[in-house]
Amino acid sequence: MPGLSVLVLVLLMTAPLPFPLPLMPPLAALAIFVWAMFQPGLMPPWLAFLLGLVADILFAQPMGVNATGFALVAGFVRWFEARYGHHAHGFDWGVAIAVMSCFIVLSWQLMALAGRPVPLAPMGWSWLTGLLAYPAVVTLCGVLQRAAFGRRQQ
Amino acid sequence: MDWTPSPRRSSAMRREQNLAIIGAVVTGAVVAVGLILLLFARVNPTAGQSVREAALDLVTPIWGVVRAPFDGIGRAVDAGGNYLGAVSRADALETELAKAKAELQSADADRIALRQIKRLLMTAEPRRQLVATARIVSAAPGMASRTALVSAGRRQGVLPGMPVIGADGLIGRTVEAGENAARLLLLTDAASRIPVLIMRTGQAALLSGDGSPSMVLTDRLGPEEPLQPGDRLVSSGEGGVFPPGIPVGMIAELGAQQSDGSSTVGRGGPVRVRLAATPVGAGFVRIERPFAPLPGEVLVPMTDAPVPVEAQRGGGIKGAAVRGIDAQGSMGTGAP
Repeated sequence: MPGLSVLVLVLLMTAPLPFPLPLMPPLAALAIFVWAMFQPGLMPPWLAFLLGLVADILFAQPMGVNATGFALVAGFVRWFEARYGHHAHGFDWGVAIAVMSCFIVLSWQLMALAGRPVPLAPMGWSWLTGLLAYPAVVTLCGVLQRAAFGRRQQ
Repeated sequence: MDWTPSPRRSSAMRREQNLAIIGAVVTGAVVAVGLILLLFARVNPTAGQSVREAALDLVTPIWGVVRAPFDGIGRAVDAGGNYLGAVSRADALETELAKAKAELQSADADRIALRQIKRLLMTAEPRRQLVATARIVSAAPGMASRTALVSAGRRQGVLPGMPVIGADGLIGRTVEAGENAARLLLLTDAASRIPVLIMRTGQAALLSGDGSPSMVLTDRLGPEEPLQPGDRLVSSGEGGVFPPGIPVGMIAELGAQQSDGSSTVGRGGPVRVRLAATPVGAGFVRIERPFAPLPGEVLVPMTDAPVPVEAQRGGGIKGAAVRGIDAQGSMGTGAP
């Protein structure tokens, strides 16, 4: 279920938008962040890597940019959750913003490494919309989790 | 001295630690594979192109169907707006038409003269050739790249490297082609470079994309003529891909002016160009054959194999040329 939902979001990110600016939020990276928190066993880094490869294919980016980024996001969240445990929604949002910042800067550097340098400034729009889209992605993943695994026992 | 044994870890804790170590190793391995893939993509930029082209055929029909109702709504809104603003638009168009007629009359004589000169000089000009007219299905600017999908591919004759032209001007060029869909590199992509002519001054220049909705004018050649906002730019045809004379955009921002406020604007900062055509809502586009494709380069195989001293003395083969000739002799390829 987590992998499938990320795949659908990757597809959604190729949707036409009537704006000249890159306003599409990094939905797939956000979903990997959320699933790695909710169900770490179902979003291992190798799965995130494979989903990233699909994203690279669909976004016409060099193979490995999103794959490496997604795997690092999943790996970081696993390590962070294991070390510091669960937190309030607001704190997680803050961590998501920090992780998305690193993800975007990393993507910028990986594009340069792959021989296709891009300017960083336009990527800031994706960061901004990603910041706003986080609650929606959490809600979506929460709904899917409840549908697939039932309500967590208190 | 305390000889009591250290408290033993429980098997569950050991298992958890082992799993954490294995997880870290797997993450590291996966990231290493990703970096190797990136280095491979750097060495061979066309790696994975066939997979991407196959993916185009999967994604493009989906958005073609999904966006159909939205296109219908958009057309209805446009029709309503046109109806409401019809009178004022008609007035503006009549004024424009009168001005254009006057300009056309003076241009007629120039056109005849130009045709005569070309005939006298026996100028050979390549012709534009339409390959397909296709619909832009998706033109979402991505985080790192600016591409669009069109509903025509190899089956319709579309190949990578073809210019794509909209009703208002240049849109981009094809970079990948599936069976029934192709991906365009839009003008605004950071990898996009367009040779242009500035209509008013006649200067040649290069337009570069930087990921923003406008482009940057660079490498202006010719006489030092100050630019003005509103100067129109058309494709120059250099490079052989884009046909000449296609509207590309107009100067929107002259950058930082000089401190004395002189007219030599556009020297202190990037000159930004607003594009004539946008892929968002462009509808249908023309995909043409490259205007004047450059002849394929003859590859001379190079080898770093050492040349015997006797051969250098006897044959008089010297320097870098040695390697190519040597390789031709041994491999039997390359130009004679």
